[in-house]
Amino acid sequence: MRPALALLLGVLPLAGGAGAGELLVGTAVSLREPMTKVARLYEAEHPATRVRVSLGASNILAVQIRAGAPLDVFVSADEELVDGLQADGLVAARFALVRNRLVVIEAGDAEFHLEGPEDLARPEVRYIAIPEYAVPVGRYAREWLRTRGLLERLRERIVPTEHARATLAAVDYGHADAAIVYATDARVARSAIVAFAVAEEEQPRIVYAAARVSSTPAAREFMAFLRGSTALRAFEAAGFAAPGPAVAEPGP
Amino acid sequence: MNWGELLSITALTLRVGAVATAALLVPSLALGYLLARHEFRAKSVVQAVIALPMVIPPVAVGLGLLILLGRRGPLGGLWSGLGVEVVFTWWAAAVAAAVVGFPLLVRACEQSFAEVDVRFEQVSRSLGHGPFGTFLRVTLPLARRGVMYGTLLAFTRALGEFGATTLVAGILPGRTETLALGIYSRVQLGDDMGALALCGASFLIALAAMLVGEGWLRRGVAPPGSPMSRR
Repeated sequence: MRPALALLLGVLPLAGGAGAGELLVGTAVSLREPMTKVARLYEAEHPATRVRVSLGASNILAVQIRAGAPLDVFVSADEELVDGLQADGLVAARFALVRNRLVVIEAGDAEFHLEGPEDLARPEVRYIAIPEYAVPVGRYAREWLRTRGLLERLRERIVPTEHARATLAAVDYGHADAAIVYATDARVARSAIVAFAVAEEEQPRIVYAAARVSSTPAAREFMAFLRGSTALRAFEAAGFAAPGPAVAEPGP
Repeated sequence: MNWGELLSITALTLRVGAVATAALLVPSLALGYLLARHEFRAKSVVQAVIALPMVIPPVAVGLGLLILLGRRGPLGGLWSGLGVEVVFTWWAAAVAAAVVGFPLLVRACEQSFAEVDVRFEQVSRSLGHGPFGTFLRVTLPLARRGVMYGTLLAFTRALGEFGATTLVAGILPGRTETLALGIYSRVQLGDDMGALALCGASFLIALAAMLVGEGWLRRGVAPPGSPMSRR
């Protein structure tokens, strides 16, 4: 038993806990690649700070913040979640970060091709991956389907997924025949292809919000960095759009 | 998935398991001994309650812990008043792992102590050892094999804990992301190579632990000179 015990104890100090110079950024999973890049860019400018990106469905991250998770900054795929947190005094400052769009994807090796929304009701389409209503992309997708009068007709074939990337993975791995995802997710697909983009006039308003949860100087600094042109370039390179002037920005 | 990430996730997992198991050891020994040596009216109720975390869905255990330890919970409120946050730290993962592993260890201790002949303890008492001395010098050494195996089981159960941990600790990279949580989040992200790498690490640790455990069982870990070493 002694060597085993020594091994266990030896391992104890290895995994570092929350260090003083660490920033935990809860991020909507659809921002995975650009946010990871922004974190590295920030670290390059602020070598004393280590930025950890915690990816998840925005609604789950919001639940974690309510439960007291030590997140410093929260980047949500929808503004409503941040509204709720702010109303409860859990968000100190916020701004609109980027915009996104919806597309419909299908399996790259499918024997059929979806030309438009009505094709989602075709009998060959057995499973359509869409997260629950609580997940931002799930709400956007379901709202769009409802305006098209398709939500009820498709209900039987909707497979709920955990978040935007799990939705993409469901089609990438062939578990689902089609899915509604962000245009930015479709860009990192492995085998899934874009069947068609949701029409411009039917696009729901998809605005991501950055919110400061903690009051540390590093959190403030990172918020300023997110708002800067370096971060915006990274987001735009991944296919996101600047938030645009029409978006209200409650003060810091 | 790079080596540094794999190593730090593995190290965090081992740390959570080790802390959980270490915290369980003394209470489990005490409770196991109590259950093995004493008859009392509500004993079967106590045994059933102790077994609960093993049989109810781990995610239900997690919800219970979240309510208890969360900021607004009775324990969490007390602690956060002292500036200590448990939820969404690796301590929460250790608490979840401990609660779920507790029944395994208590049961193993109880059964191992029950197998120790009471006469050895009586002889020890007659030769002048007190109850605690008798427990340490006679009962525990004789029950050692089962207790160690139970400890190993609780430890490996702790390493794989998912359902309760994901609720109370979240999946925070570098802070609470253990092997089990890391596998899940990578599958959700479509990062199958990363998920498989973490599966490989889990597999190796589990195999090593089970080999150690089988070795204990085969050799018989009773100390030399004790009555059990004759087996």
